Amino acid sequence: MITLYDFELSGNCYKLRLLMSILKLRYDIVPVDFYPGRQHKADWFLKLNPFGQLPVLKDDELVLSDSGAILAYLAKKYDEAGLWFPDDPAITAEILRWHAVADDITATSSAARLVLGMFYDFDLEKAQKGAHRIFRLMDEHLWFGEREGRDWLCSPAHPTTADIACFPYVMLSEEGGISRQDYPALRRWTDRVRRIPGFMVMSGIFPAGRALETT
Amino acid sequence: MTLSLSDPTWYPIASSEDLPFRHVYQGQLLGRELAVWRADDGNVNVWENRCLHRGVRLSIGINEGGELKCQYHGWRYANRSAGCTYIPAHPADAPARRIENRTYPVREAYGLVWSSANNDIAFTPFPGADSADWFALRPMPANAAPEDVHAALVRLAPDDQPAELLPGLALRLDGTLYFVQPVDAGRSVIRGLLAGQPDDALTTLRHYNEILTKLRDRLERAAARKPAPTPLQPIFEKVAVDLATMPEIAIPRGNTMPVVVKRKWTSADGVIGFELAARDGHLPTFQPGAHIDVHLPNGLIRQYSITNGPGELMSYIIGVKQESASKGGSKILVDTVREGDLLSISEPRNNFPLRRDAVRSVLIAGGIGITPLLSMARFLDKSSLPYELHYFTRAGEQVAFRGDLEALHGKVILHTGLPRAEIASTIATALGEWSRAQHVYVCGPSAMLESVRTTAAAQGWPDEAIHFEYFKNDKVIDDSSSFEIELARSAMTLHVPSGRTILEIMRENGLTVPSSCEQGACGTCLTTVMEGEVDHQDVYLNDSEKRSNACMMTCVSRAKSARLVLDI
Repeated sequence: MITLYDFELSGNCYKLRLLMSILKLRYDIVPVDFYPGRQHKADWFLKLNPFGQLPVLKDDELVLSDSGAILAYLAKKYDEAGLWFPDDPAITAEILRWHAVADDITATSSAARLVLGMFYDFDLEKAQKGAHRIFRLMDEHLWFGEREGRDWLCSPAHPTTADIACFPYVMLSEEGGISRQDYPALRRWTDRVRRIPGFMVMSGIFPAGRALETT
Repeated sequence: MTLSLSDPTWYPIASSEDLPFRHVYQGQLLGRELAVWRADDGNVNVWENRCLHRGVRLSIGINEGGELKCQYHGWRYANRSAGCTYIPAHPADAPARRIENRTYPVREAYGLVWSSANNDIAFTPFPGADSADWFALRPMPANAAPEDVHAALVRLAPDDQPAELLPGLALRLDGTLYFVQPVDAGRSVIRGLLAGQPDDALTTLRHYNEILTKLRDRLERAAARKPAPTPLQPIFEKVAVDLATMPEIAIPRGNTMPVVVKRKWTSADGVIGFELAARDGHLPTFQPGAHIDVHLPNGLIRQYSITNGPGELMSYIIGVKQESASKGGSKILVDTVREGDLLSISEPRNNFPLRRDAVRSVLIAGGIGITPLLSMARFLDKSSLPYELHYFTRAGEQVAFRGDLEALHGKVILHTGLPRAEIASTIATALGEWSRAQHVYVCGPSAMLESVRTTAAAQGWPDEAIHFEYFKNDKVIDDSSSFEIELARSAMTLHVPSGRTILEIMRENGLTVPSSCEQGACGTCLTTVMEGEVDHQDVYLNDSEKRSNACMMTCVSRAKSARLVLDI
């Protein structure tokens, strides 16, 4: 039985809900009041995850933390097709590279959102600038990807956990005052992610319109 | 140079490739944010990036192919006209038809999408535009003033081959064209065009991308050392009060427009199709279920439903029944009007609004009644909403618009040649028991309408879930009564004798009042009743509306009481 220790407004928790929804997994939720309750720093939670960070996922007796690590675990254990985290060494490296980018996006775009939405005391301007720097790189990568026939962050012809890991705090960037107007290829990629079968929404992340079906 | 909000120059605002189908691109020109989207017919729309409702960005809206839907409250705007076609939960279910979002001029050419702040000057291609097959580079946004970006591009030229300056912040550099899109006072996008398709497109793109990235980084470092220019301050015009408030359902007639009969064909046995096109540009926005008044060569005016789908505004397609017993309306259209002829039509009006918040919509058509329901089916189809379309005809040859019906993805069921008793049971099965948020729409002969109304009522469907449109009122009108009408707003009391209608008496006394069919079927002359008991003889109002005694059709209905007080 899978249990997710979850905060509804956390993009990192949403990553796991999103992949579990796509993989059609059943799971229980234990709500953790990250804001304003700061329950992720409570004693009972620190026993689960000494790093004091959401999300935490329990699969029977196994306790896991870090959203990127858990994405890899869920994909390797439950995605029988092996598409979301392929075994190929080069692709694994590519995906882990983007998992690291996802952490950078959390440290910038998500931090800006925490300042504006949850009154955290971070350097807002620095966070916003950092997010723009990453988004520029992503836009360039995705723009050339479109020219090369690649729709996703990594080279396979289908999305991987890299796309899931990077998606939420790109979509929530406006809540941190970071416009995506200058990143048209990044915006088109978010449309594609939102059209993955099994996609689910969270507060602030809307569904995309359906793609044009040619019959 | 100082940037101006009203600068009429055409600038590129996107690459063609930025606008895949069903995507909304977020752009900006001279401080104004733009929602740019390509409809399924290929047309590119450049609109002010805000929903008229609450100013939410339309670039986060949904491109449904023929309409753009605001994600927050579901307001919809049509391809080409930007006219608002749907306002959810609008009290009368009838959006204000004339609400339109602000649009900007657009041209797609040379791999780029061009726009300008206003329509003051026509689009003129840059010098030599038609001499090459242009190849667009990756656009490069830069946080730097447009004039600084332009100057920096000019400086890229070697001394012995200076850049050729072109109008509109553009330049030619060794065969490559660069355009600076003035996003705002301190922001720009560099858009480049190469003459001809390169042999190795990717290598070429990466090469120019590297040059422009370095240029951008230099420009941004320089810009960071200067005080940031004040951003342009566009003024957003508010929607006029009369447009933002609830419109009257009956909109006075008057405005007509000429249309060309572009095509006339036999759509089915007894049904003639007419395609009516504007002489120039597009026709006004319409809603599913809307009709137009067609002014016929013999002076008669007849209503025909528009069969088109969402955002199809280049022409209206109507279906006309070929009736031997026709009173001369449809007959003259069918017999004498030919392709190429000009006709006068009204703006579209809707007495048959479609709700798009239903969990299930049942559409029931009899014969020529398919026309408004075809339009509804197309809207529901495009929005991927669940619906069933039941189309009853006497024979298979009478199925009109067959090809259009086959192109729909929803459930379309043809019922051909059923005996009368079986029609009733088929309707009963099609409807099923009512549950919340189900709606039925019916258009066809009176007998079928009555059958649907009684069957639906028997199966628990409330009046407000049953929507119907009569094409004519078959009832015999009893005009033997005589009574007084007091017109509250006009401060007049008039006598209506037997044999005369309220409408006629009001007109005789100098009042301008809207009407259309004048047989109690179309709803145009709907009037609020303040006092008195109405003798309803129309087929437009439903039973609960009639019982409410709060409104009436002045063209056929009369008074049971000695006096009626009307809100006119």
